[in-house]
Amino acid sequence: MNLEKVIFGFFIIFACTLNFGFFIGDIERVELHHPMELFAAVVVNLIATVLKFGDRTQLGATHLATSLVASFQLLAASMVWVWQLYVVRGPVDGHVISIVVSLSGGALLANLFSVILLLGETIRQGR
Amino acid sequence: MYDVLFLLLRRFRAPLITLIVVYAISVGGLALIPGVDGEGQVRPLSIFHAFYVMSYTATTIGFGEIPYPFTDAQRLWVTFSIYLSVIGWAYTLGSAITLANDMTFRALLARGVFKWRVGGIAEPFYVLCGYGQSGARLARALDRLGNRLVIVEPDAIRAARTAIQDFATSPLTLVSDARLADVLEDCGIRSPHCLGLIALAGEDAVNQAIAIGARVLSPGLQIVARAKSEGARINLESFGGVEVINPFTTFAVNVGIGLRAPAILQLEEWLTAAPGSPCPEVPPVPRGRWVLVGFGRFGSALAAMLDREGIEWRAFDPLNHDDRERRLLRGDFIENVLRDAGIAEADVLVAGADVDAVNLGATTLARRVRPDIFVVIRQNHMQDRALIDAADADLKFVQSDIMIHECLQVLKTPMLGRFLAELRAADEALAQAAIDRVRAEVGDGAPRAWTFECDVLQPGMFGAFFQRDGEPFRIAHLAADPTAPPERLKVAALMLERGGHRQLLPAADTALKPADRILFVGDAVAQRLQRRYLVEPGTIAWVCSGKEPPRSLIFRWWRQRE
Repeated sequence: MNLEKVIFGFFIIFACTLNFGFFIGDIERVELHHPMELFAAVVVNLIATVLKFGDRTQLGATHLATSLVASFQLLAASMVWVWQLYVVRGPVDGHVISIVVSLSGGALLANLFSVILLLGETIRQGR
Repeated sequence: MYDVLFLLLRRFRAPLITLIVVYAISVGGLALIPGVDGEGQVRPLSIFHAFYVMSYTATTIGFGEIPYPFTDAQRLWVTFSIYLSVIGWAYTLGSAITLANDMTFRALLARGVFKWRVGGIAEPFYVLCGYGQSGARLARALDRLGNRLVIVEPDAIRAARTAIQDFATSPLTLVSDARLADVLEDCGIRSPHCLGLIALAGEDAVNQAIAIGARVLSPGLQIVARAKSEGARINLESFGGVEVINPFTTFAVNVGIGLRAPAILQLEEWLTAAPGSPCPEVPPVPRGRWVLVGFGRFGSALAAMLDREGIEWRAFDPLNHDDRERRLLRGDFIENVLRDAGIAEADVLVAGADVDAVNLGATTLARRVRPDIFVVIRQNHMQDRALIDAADADLKFVQSDIMIHECLQVLKTPMLGRFLAELRAADEALAQAAIDRVRAEVGDGAPRAWTFECDVLQPGMFGAFFQRDGEPFRIAHLAADPTAPPERLKVAALMLERGGHRQLLPAADTALKPADRILFVGDAVAQRLQRRYLVEPGTIAWVCSGKEPPRSLIFRWWRQRE
């Protein structure tokens, strides 16, 4: 067992699951999407991105690209939230939360690609 | 540049993850701990506010407790976070500073900058591998002639000298081994602006590797390599496409020509001297007995030449003494050995050891016995130049002189090199005729040499060959002044190349054909004016007939109707 592989896989899948956890639920119901979960998703996604730094293979580059996409989407989602609360100074209502959740949905797609790449790599190596 | 980026990313993986974790713990904790807002209601800080507070706290800026005064529980957590984040930042900054001092990183960065700058050169340049004595002098000569230079030198101290020597345009220098293919590529040998590569490394094996690598990577490139041994020269020449210069053999061949036909040597030296210098006097080399001091690469090259010329010689060397004919003595450089070698009956002394002090000593000793002996002296180090000059030898061998001479000849006017090669095979009378011709037509100063190519894609030549009738186009027309045809330019034609055929000293009335190449010598004004025959249509017709031919289609048709 390779510890590096464990950590790498852990963060990629963890990023995906947290993202999924935030995303699941009716898109317009604010109480189903907790900000803490979005925060955790952002943090884990950033870690996953940094873990992919410096891999010079073609697969590594694609990995990094998917993670970058997911991180940007999640950061954009949190920015929307923060903007509504502290700049517009309005409540986070169904309209705003639907923007946030749909952005995180995009990130989820990117994270799914990441997981698929991880699985593909594992299967291809076959050891 | 990608290498630098990847190294950065790889090295910063751990510090960045540490920082993210530290921030996540601090921000997350602060957002979970209950606080009190302005109305006294209990509620925790939002994640945004927690991140804001941690951002200025972690970087030790510290704006205070925003948006409401903290509770003690929050203060406890912030205190903990401050220490945590300071450790995180210290680690990250420490890694950054370590990386900036890291030699691997610096070398990679320097290489990236070098490659980027070479890619940005938009003018003709030469790649010079090796910056020793010859390299440094050749670099300066090429710089004076207005060429950019890219220099590769494995020794960092030597490479640093390129920064302190005075160049018109400072060369781009890389401290690396040019034998590596990626280094050669980074030097820009595939660039369309690269004119050629010169390999002047200290060892033959290195030059060989560089030349072969460059030949494979960039087949059309002009490559000049130094080879001090005959084995390396034969190897490279059989590989093809590489001009090989062996300074020792070159010198020996020149001395041989001096023995046989001094006029050839005189013409050669004159044509390759700096423009304007007087025709050099070549001292006649005596054909009597020769004594060679030192029998290394230099001595043996001269001995081989002497054998070909059938001249008697004796040599001695402290190490080398394997000789069946007993012409090579073993001995230190002392007086008795000089006497044993028969210095009293000798006409020529070759002080060719690889130590300058020995050469000077041998010269003095020999002159004590034979005051009028002809001395050929070898200078090994530039620092000893004044001493060697003071010895006032009849011929002086300086390796870097030969290298610069030969390299410039090969690089600047390859046709002049071919002319000189033909000349060496020719006889004395021809060389004398050439000297007389140049003296009569151009003057006593050393002329410039250039090639005039009858390239019919140029408007002037197209007109001369295809849009004109009357007398054929001759070499004499190219020697007329295009501004005032009866006047003559200060030029002399030395060689005509037609296909693979070469004709030395072509007659002035030789009719030219498309794609002919003529080697001209003359002054700078003539070189500039002669270009008009190439680029301006109708100049040849005007010189031949005194009439300006019609340029446009309509006027040509009009003229034909008349």
